[in-house]
Amino acid sequence: MRRVLGLGVLMALGTALSAHAQNSMVFTSWGGTTQDAQKKDWAVPFTAKTGIAVVQDGPTDYGKFKAMVQSGNVSWDVVDVEYDFAVRAAQDGLLTPLTLTPAETASIDPRFLTPDAAGSFYYSFVIGYRTNAFHGAQPKTLQDLFDIKKFPGKRCFYKWSAAGVLEAALLADGVAPDKLYPLDLNRAFRKLDTIKKDIVWWGTGAQSQQLLASGQAPIGLVWNGRVQALEQEGAPVAMSWDQNLTTGDMLVIPKGAPDTAAAQKFIAFATSAGPQAQFATDTGYAPINKGSLPLLDKAAYAALPDAHAATHIDLNMQYWAAHRDEIAARWYAWQTQ
Amino acid sequence: MADAIAVKGVRAAQAAPPPPAPRRLRNGFAPAVPGLAFLLLCFMLPVLALLLRSLTQPQWGLQNYAALLATSTYANVLFNTFAVAGLVTGISALLGLPLAWFLAVAPRFWSQLVFGIVILSMWTNLLARTYAWMVLLQDTGIINNFLIWTGIIQNPLPLFGTMAGVVIGMVYIMLPFMVLSLRGPLAALDASLFQAASLCGASRVQAFTQVFLPLLAPGLAAGGLIIFVMSLGYYITPSLLGGAQDMMLAELIAQLVQTLLNWGLAGAASFLLLVLTLSLYAVQIRYFSPRRGKEG
Repeated sequence: MRRVLGLGVLMALGTALSAHAQNSMVFTSWGGTTQDAQKKDWAVPFTAKTGIAVVQDGPTDYGKFKAMVQSGNVSWDVVDVEYDFAVRAAQDGLLTPLTLTPAETASIDPRFLTPDAAGSFYYSFVIGYRTNAFHGAQPKTLQDLFDIKKFPGKRCFYKWSAAGVLEAALLADGVAPDKLYPLDLNRAFRKLDTIKKDIVWWGTGAQSQQLLASGQAPIGLVWNGRVQALEQEGAPVAMSWDQNLTTGDMLVIPKGAPDTAAAQKFIAFATSAGPQAQFATDTGYAPINKGSLPLLDKAAYAALPDAHAATHIDLNMQYWAAHRDEIAARWYAWQTQ
Repeated sequence: MADAIAVKGVRAAQAAPPPPAPRRLRNGFAPAVPGLAFLLLCFMLPVLALLLRSLTQPQWGLQNYAALLATSTYANVLFNTFAVAGLVTGISALLGLPLAWFLAVAPRFWSQLVFGIVILSMWTNLLARTYAWMVLLQDTGIINNFLIWTGIIQNPLPLFGTMAGVVIGMVYIMLPFMVLSLRGPLAALDASLFQAASLCGASRVQAFTQVFLPLLAPGLAAGGLIIFVMSLGYYITPSLLGGAQDMMLAELIAQLVQTLLNWGLAGAASFLLLVLTLSLYAVQIRYFSPRRGKEG
């Protein structure tokens, strides 16, 4: 009896496994509330529509990504990556080109579409601050973010070499937004030197929230969705959208992904108007599909970078992809000095 | 206490004959094959592959090693690594010795209680412990808030995001290793030696430096080496409690692999770490191995 039962379980498991192998794909993202929303708003309706199960994996790890592709042993089908990595990975031949239809291509914001990567969502670096930290005027501009006298205390910035902090330093130093690129690295680091001893670095979005919420850093340059989440939890924080710096995450298919066909379908679905609108409503991160904004209600729209488009500045990801390594070398050298 | 020491007789153990040589086992190599094969496949081969990468990427040559040793960034990282490992080892020894001494001489109940606390801290999840330190060390954390409340300091001490924070967090993690390493030598310590020392006219300080410390040297060296080597490759605590200026070697390797995708340089850094660790281990075997000490 036990043996028969065991055999039955084994057979059932075998069937389940082969079904799994035929009809499922793996989606990898950064974890946390963002991936929860990606699962709820993209993966679950995608499975309902196509019958293809979506297994969630993560967090995204570029070292793992490269190792998988180079060893020909890829276990991820669709990966959420930062924009500059997407451009760089395409140059290095790590990606499968997308096969979106002309109609799908036309519906996506061209800022967030390349032959090998389609936008996942986009977001802004904003000035987040505690509303009870400063007496009188509250911080508003990037100059304020770099003004230790007017707004004393630690300030938190993104730890990794990536678009955002250097641009903020140059803008605070008076560089005109249309003159940002090519970046004047000497000038940017000189400006950052003026506040270096007051900088605390955040490596993950959760860390930036922790620094703001605990008051360790009463002000910082952070992602808009993270401040919004803190506000919703009732923390005494606010954000200024003045000169908010926008960039996006991208969805890519690693070269040699196990189920490229399913991956192509998933990206087409996730970047379509409806799922993008739903994700924006849940996270405060902006949709990259031009048809999504009309689907949003007023409150959800007001929380998005789109509502602050007049004051935003696009970070130049092509520039970053081309200069990623040289900037990184200087960035980490400066950080450890 | 002095009476207790006085009634103890002279131990004969020092003069014990060496144990008889164990009988040779035939074919002793075979049972080790599975373990050796595992190590060869899962450790030696990847290490060699990594070494090869450090010599071949982007092209053949020693350029990765040259970059590692010549660039001031990496020199800073190496300095930080040694500074933190050295400080952690030294402070662990200073704190661990009295603690181990207490464990050896305290009444059984207290000794077991304290030993339990030491061990319990080792069994707690490393991440949980490190996050707890984050809460304690922040500018708005309990330590700084308390010190400001008592009026001892006006402005918060820079404990979080600094090397001080890293050292505090790591000493806490490494201390049990020092206590455990000293426990054996302290238990074996013959208390009558001190009486002998004082009978011969040694002051307390002399008894400590010339009798006590030399006898504990193997334990101190073993504990110190374990801590120093573990600290050299430590990752979680420095990355959570340290600032960008205090980057250590393991963090640099992670950054090179995951963020910069510069695997040649990462391989060189890993190999450097491995060589440092192995040479320290060789030093221990050569100079501090107890067996050698007795033979010599």
